Amino acid sequence: MPAPLAGRRVLDLGALCAQRPHALAASMAAKLCGAYGAEVVRPRPAGGEPFAALPPLLPDGSSALDRFLNAGKRPGPATGRFDAAIGDGAALAAHAAGVPVKARLSVFGPDEPDPPMTELGLAALSGLLGIVGEAPPAPPARLAGHQIAYSAGLATCTALLAALRAGGEEMVDVSLLDVAAWLNWKVAAGVMVIGSAPVRGSARATWFTVPARDGHVALVYQEKDWPALRDLIGDPRLHEERFATGPARGANRAALLEVIGPWFAARTRAEITAAAQARRVPIGPVKWPAELLEDAQYRARGFLAQDGTPSLPVGWDGQRLAREMEDAAV
Amino acid sequence: MPQSDPALPLAGIRVVDLGWITAGAASSTLLLDLGAEVVKVEGPGAPDPFRQWEGADLSTDWWNRSPFFAFTNRGKQSLCLDLKDPRGREVLLRLLEGADVLVENFRRGVMASFGLDPAMLRRRFPRLVIASISSQGETGPDRDMVSFGSTLEATGGLAALTGAGEAPVITGRDVNYPDQVVCLFAAGAIVAALLERDRTGQGAHLDLSQRELTSFLLGEELIAAAAAAPSPRRGNFDPVEPEERLVADDKGGWRVEWPGGSAPVRDGVALAAAEEFIRGAAVLRSPDGSPAKGIPFRFARRPLAVKEACHELGADNRAVLQAAGFSAEEIDRLKEAGVLATSPRSVRRG
Repeated sequence: MPAPLAGRRVLDLGALCAQRPHALAASMAAKLCGAYGAEVVRPRPAGGEPFAALPPLLPDGSSALDRFLNAGKRPGPATGRFDAAIGDGAALAAHAAGVPVKARLSVFGPDEPDPPMTELGLAALSGLLGIVGEAPPAPPARLAGHQIAYSAGLATCTALLAALRAGGEEMVDVSLLDVAAWLNWKVAAGVMVIGSAPVRGSARATWFTVPARDGHVALVYQEKDWPALRDLIGDPRLHEERFATGPARGANRAALLEVIGPWFAARTRAEITAAAQARRVPIGPVKWPAELLEDAQYRARGFLAQDGTPSLPVGWDGQRLAREMEDAAV
Repeated sequence: MPQSDPALPLAGIRVVDLGWITAGAASSTLLLDLGAEVVKVEGPGAPDPFRQWEGADLSTDWWNRSPFFAFTNRGKQSLCLDLKDPRGREVLLRLLEGADVLVENFRRGVMASFGLDPAMLRRRFPRLVIASISSQGETGPDRDMVSFGSTLEATGGLAALTGAGEAPVITGRDVNYPDQVVCLFAAGAIVAALLERDRTGQGAHLDLSQRELTSFLLGEELIAAAAAAPSPRRGNFDPVEPEERLVADDKGGWRVEWPGGSAPVRDGVALAAAEEFIRGAAVLRSPDGSPAKGIPFRFARRPLAVKEACHELGADNRAVLQAAGFSAEEIDRLKEAGVLATSPRSVRRG
């Protein structure tokens, strides 16, 4: 069973980070190290595990966030030999001075002040908040969960793995803002490369969710898919000039919805998805987390444990990583 | 072939990049940034769709001028090779003899149609790390479902929980969030597989499902749902930051406010002008000055940088084949046969 970090000890200073985005990112990075086979030690502050009281809370009062991020980690002091440590600058300075590979989370980068910050604040500053959601005057829409911190955790783990492979000492720096802006590159590059940035809800935004009989589907398609989609819905008005091109459909979105809405509303998500997929149009159902627990694809691939805990999302020569399976059994 | 920096973590690692658009191509770019040599392989009949772009002047070599393609693929060697031709397939197999990593994100079944299915490649090249990035994964009843990133936001649970109004929200073509975030994870899984190979001598086939990653990043919500705890759409309310607010400013924009701070909701223009963005590493510059996809981490002892601009399609055909042991005559024959090319086939025919 693969365990690329077998025999390595990783110090997770996520519980000792001063700010929550850093704490969540460090905890995710350390969780990934654990999934790759490292022994992860997580010191806790005097007040106990800071995630223990954070939502979402389970009926027994415990935290699903704590379980997701910290299952399989060993609570303990920051003493002994470690191969790597993950935290913010202050926690690393206080607890990991002698650890050869350190990963340091910050708001803006290693040489910048680290002002008080939240994930929504980072989403706002990176442009990732402003680009998602309905057109103004509607407010922008925050991506659910902890995408800002977790994506920084993914970047941190990737860099840490690389530093461990290189050997010797290294300080890996991950800026939470840089990661969010890196994810949102089309907006920045739009300005810098093409001279104009995409904006929320513009006429280019021809993808959105549409009410179905039992929920919503995501209306996602490329220009080349439009004839197939138009013919699937079968309303002759869709041949009119105002719906002929992507920008035209974007500009006439309300009128388009009036025409196509009833077709979607009369059908279930599964019926719509099956009909669209038969024409290779990439429409899919909007599924709730509770529905994913019963999802046939996830079941066939053994992705979710009985308690809902997801495996590391990689099959490795057809197997899930062993440590993950142990974690899921906890 | 340019020498990679021996100080970098992936120095000496050779990557054959069959990745398209973002999910595959930008994962390979991260490996390049960590010190690997990356050869991007595209067929003359099927170049990376990112080469087609709005505003292209069709009387020019438009396929070399796509701004977003160049932004994403800067610094890679370019090999334009027809994998549908048996001679092209043989060239690729020769390249894989000297390669450490293969990255692909074709529709499932395409690799097999080239006679390059991962199970065969694993047997033939036991030290090779094969990263297959796909929507749903290599197996399961929905394996062949067609999806873009935003489809996966819907099917993976993110859209249901996202949105400030009545409807669930997808990020759309300007973000396609799952296509971006998978690169951070896939590059890490590939480095992990190289670490495992250092330990055991064995490569791996990594089956990376973007839909699974999308759900993984909502792990606490899945655990809550399994315990029958509510998992509703909360709009812009983050339950771990209950005192935070999104408020309208007096200029038609928005601000986030929380105890101890506040931040403007930036659009692209404001982002590109922000000092901390300019000083950061999210977007960097190629040596020719053009903006280039940045590097979302830094190393204090081993500076990472964008070292080269984007190569033209097929610019490295000869160099890559020579390094793989092909003679000048063999290369000439492949070129004459159209197995090697420097432009898309539809253009040459036209």
